[in-house]
Amino acid sequence: MTEKNLVLGSSVAFLKSELDLLMTDLRKNGFQTVGPHLQDESIVYSKIDGLKDLPRGILSEQNPASYRMIQTGKDRYFDFIPGSQSWKQFLFPPRHTLFTAEKVGKWQFVENEDPAPRYALIGVRACELAAIQVQDKVFLRDDFSDSIYRSRREGLFILAVNCLDPDATCFCVSMGTGPRLAAGFDLCVTELDEVFLVEVGSELGRSVLASRTFDLPSAFAQNTANQAMERATNSMVRTMDTTDLPHLLTAQLEAERWAEVGKRCLSCANCTLVCPTCFCWDATDHVDILGKSTRRERVWDSCFNPNYSYVVGGNTRPNIRSRYRQWLTHKLGTWKKQFDIQGCVGCGRCITWCPARIDLTEEVAAIRAEVKT
Amino acid sequence: MVPAEDIQAALQKIPWFNTLTTEHFKKTADLAHLRYAKAGDIFFHEGDKQDYVYIVLEGRVSLDIFVPHHGKVRFYTAEPYDVFGWSSVTPSMRQRTAGAVAVLDCTVACLDAEKLRQFAENDHDFGYLLMRRLANVVASRLMVTRLQLIDMFAGPTEYKND
Amino acid sequence: MTTILINTTAHSAGYTDKLLLPHWAEIVKIIPEAEGVTTFQLKFTDPEVQNRYRFEPGQFNMFYIPGYGEAAISMSSDLETANGLLVHTIRHIGNVTKATSRLKIGDTVGIRGPFGTSWPLDAIKGMDVVIACGGIGLPPLRGAIHRIIRNRDKYGKVTLLYGARTPKDLMYPTEYKTWQKADIDMQVTVDRGDEDWTGRVGVVPMWFYHFRVDPHKTAVLTCGPEIMMRFVIYEALARRIPAEHIYISLERNMKCGQGACGHCQQGPYFICKDGPVFPFSALENIFNVEEY
Repeated sequence: MTEKNLVLGSSVAFLKSELDLLMTDLRKNGFQTVGPHLQDESIVYSKIDGLKDLPRGILSEQNPASYRMIQTGKDRYFDFIPGSQSWKQFLFPPRHTLFTAEKVGKWQFVENEDPAPRYALIGVRACELAAIQVQDKVFLRDDFSDSIYRSRREGLFILAVNCLDPDATCFCVSMGTGPRLAAGFDLCVTELDEVFLVEVGSELGRSVLASRTFDLPSAFAQNTANQAMERATNSMVRTMDTTDLPHLLTAQLEAERWAEVGKRCLSCANCTLVCPTCFCWDATDHVDILGKSTRRERVWDSCFNPNYSYVVGGNTRPNIRSRYRQWLTHKLGTWKKQFDIQGCVGCGRCITWCPARIDLTEEVAAIRAEVKT
Repeated sequence: MVPAEDIQAALQKIPWFNTLTTEHFKKTADLAHLRYAKAGDIFFHEGDKQDYVYIVLEGRVSLDIFVPHHGKVRFYTAEPYDVFGWSSVTPSMRQRTAGAVAVLDCTVACLDAEKLRQFAENDHDFGYLLMRRLANVVASRLMVTRLQLIDMFAGPTEYKND
Repeated sequence: MTTILINTTAHSAGYTDKLLLPHWAEIVKIIPEAEGVTTFQLKFTDPEVQNRYRFEPGQFNMFYIPGYGEAAISMSSDLETANGLLVHTIRHIGNVTKATSRLKIGDTVGIRGPFGTSWPLDAIKGMDVVIACGGIGLPPLRGAIHRIIRNRDKYGKVTLLYGARTPKDLMYPTEYKTWQKADIDMQVTVDRGDEDWTGRVGVVPMWFYHFRVDPHKTAVLTCGPEIMMRFVIYEALARRIPAEHIYISLERNMKCGQGACGHCQQGPYFICKDGPVFPFSALENIFNVEEY
């Protein structure tokens, strides 16, 4: 097969080593390649150069408050399910300078616009892509468009990967976001033992793939891939009953379950940090000791932060019960009304990384049960 | 002495009095008199023995309590058609718990509390109407007091950045 | 059918992209008000921004003191009364607002805005208006009072109920006569008074017992401590004024002013963007849920 036959929707097969060359090509074109990387016994998203930086042969096993890695020894790179980090750190950086100002007589701004980096995200899962699409609706709106997010989003290259081995905390099937990728990527990879199957999702993806060496996938390869994806969908154990979901929670603000989960929740904010759609932020001034120069910085914030709802005269959510209720009724309820899309993508991170083992699928089921009685 | 017709005309302006029977109205008017007070005139002091229950017809009367280091604190003003000094009609209070002073020139209807209590005791139909009205006065006063107690305009006790 | 007020004065200071970047403004005049409260009059340093800047009463700016941070402050006047100057009455109780007490004439601060929904002065034309406010809740309504006075014949009976903690906490006392002359029935009350106070002692919500309203054509605008607003709403609803005609101004922790940072949410609303002015009918289901 040659590049002349490549069109949108084309599917090819290439050797795994081609991925190295593809990433080099991306870098030559000005992209920073970032992806999963084993560091300090965790899978993080950071700068990667090629296959050597990917977590080779790693399989993951997740449960509430538990993430384990198993070394399979296989020459496979995407069997694990992503860890605590998500891609939002690249589009919505945890810390970012909004502006700096100096007092020279009067206050004035200091110009220092760094150009936005162009990222190539390597290994985006279906739930993660869905999360990016949710954040698109949050950050890019008619009435407000976040220039930091937009500049990074416009330059983005997405190499997505189909999940073949969901973990026990995944519930993307219930949320309608996966595990199979449909659209929204530049290239989409399904990993087989010997090769990567690659689907073209955009013109950018097509042009990047065109310089590689690839072949038509064999019928056997296509079959194996399809069967693997079927298995993945069917093997998902965790579910969330989404019937009537926006309304169910917002109509149950006085349910007893909130007090019950409020006793278990530590308000540690882990869930909001690992959640790929959470978007709250704070802005703080960093001023020099003479008070003549200041830098205003945007940082991630969380509705579990005790000072999040501080107003003069008090705090509108002074206890954990009310803060947990806010998080869940927002994520699974009012978010839909605000942004016209469901806030949860079913990635299960909040379940894995909650030290108190709180499982939002269980909480929703408990409230549903409370309504019935 | 103010003519009886004048008192009756004045009392008829007060909505509650129009709900009484003619006989009850006349008997009540008999134990009432009008007082014309200038700003600064005192109706009673804290500690005084009860004598009258008052209804403001015109002007404004302030109720106050003396608080050491703060002087006289005015905690309520009775406006036209407000009742003050109502505790003289309930049996438990022995003396005035606050002072009352006119802050503007006033016309006030004064009802003899002892005679009113007797009337209510002898005529339970009237007594019920009187107590019902007083219960409303106390309830309304309690509502105001609660909102004052909550001190809704108070500044915060701890603060952080806005 | 509940009408949610839409923020119609979209960013008239003229920027849609750099909405997180303030415009510099200079302090032109400083007027001490009640204890711990100061009014600032400001002018943008860029004349083009100054000429373009428009807002509606009820909206707010994010007031930025470099090195300290931002505070959401309502506009405290309408533009015409203030000759085009920005007027902000600020109570000095938080970190940022305490810093404003040290500002001098000529100092520059950052202004982002205007943000939020405004008092529905057009929608309530032809109606009787009851303005019930307390404490620092009068400044956000002063612009509305100015606008009503400017178009007095377009409104019916206008009653202004204003309460404060003590006589020295009353805002703008020198203006009451002007407002009364403009055929506004103004009733002032304090929580407690001293021996020199010959005005009313009581609370704003109870004043509803002293006058009659026609529930079919009365609108209520209320702003102040949430407890006060809650009782004003009780009294208004008790007199059968429909919830759609009771307008309240809410306050929450505001940071971005544009429904982006998440802090000011209550239920589905971003108070900075869908409010701060709401018809009570939009809030009925969530207003009295504790700690929501």
